[in-house]
Amino acid sequence: MEFFDYLILSSIIFSIGFLGIFINRKNIISILMSIELMLLAANINFVGFSNYLDDLYGQIFALFVLVVAAAEAAIGLAILIIFFNKSGTISVDFINKLKG
Amino acid sequence: MSSIIFYIVSFITIFSCFLVVFSSNPVHSVLFLIFTFFNVAVVFLLSQAEFLAMTLIIVYVGAVAVLFLFVVMMLNINEVLVKEGFLKYFPFGLLLISIFFLELVFVFKDTQLQEQKITSMNISNLIKSGNQNTEAIGLFLYTDFFIVFQISGFLLLVAMIGAIVLAKNENPNIKSQKSQYQKSLDKRNVIKLK
Repeated sequence: MEFFDYLILSSIIFSIGFLGIFINRKNIISILMSIELMLLAANINFVGFSNYLDDLYGQIFALFVLVVAAAEAAIGLAILIIFFNKSGTISVDFINKLKG
Repeated sequence: MSSIIFYIVSFITIFSCFLVVFSSNPVHSVLFLIFTFFNVAVVFLLSQAEFLAMTLIIVYVGAVAVLFLFVVMMLNINEVLVKEGFLKYFPFGLLLISIFFLELVFVFKDTQLQEQKITSMNISNLIKSGNQNTEAIGLFLYTDFFIVFQISGFLLLVAMIGAIVLAKNENPNIKSQKSQYQKSLDKRNVIKLK
């Protein structure tokens, strides 16, 4: 359980979340779950550094990341529900109202 | 001993992360997400972050994952359509994350961390002076990080109000009392004597 293992674990989880954003093009819920995984990887990194450096700062920062993740999930899912009620789909390919 | 548990739990975490991303049923995805959070909570426990581990379970499993589960069950999603375009994006995505992961590993491999000077938030000193993990976090969260703590509480308030405003829909069929409309009426226009 060395310091390097925390970094490898968090980068693997971050990469899987990244892959999930790429391949789940038909389902925004999966994309939101992938974003949760990426935030979780950031938290693992903070806690790993906190454990290695013997400093409490990392744990307190991870707490704030947790707050942001909860707020983001609530807002994202609310937007998702009203979008589904209006258009009947949650596929990324059809969400192009802004023509961006 | 704790090192062996760390490796086993990490392996299970990575495995269930893969299942979150690749499973075709969104309900299974959410359940594996919950499983991932539990395993990461064990990793936090092993790294002496007990308060954060319990908060992770309460916030993620108790609130966020249940929210996901509700939304997945409310929306009627066609399961066959969900995995459409998988083969189109998978090779490119795999290439991209392989490059990304290898870059990260190359950077981490040669990293040498300098010995950190002892700060006031040193965990061993805090434990030595009789503070447990939760106590120590509270000691700093309510003093040094007070402003940040208040801002994060305000952020949660904004998120709550935003979610309520977004999800609230006005249904014209429901009869309700409109107090502003009632007050704005003038009685000379409403009541007539004949």
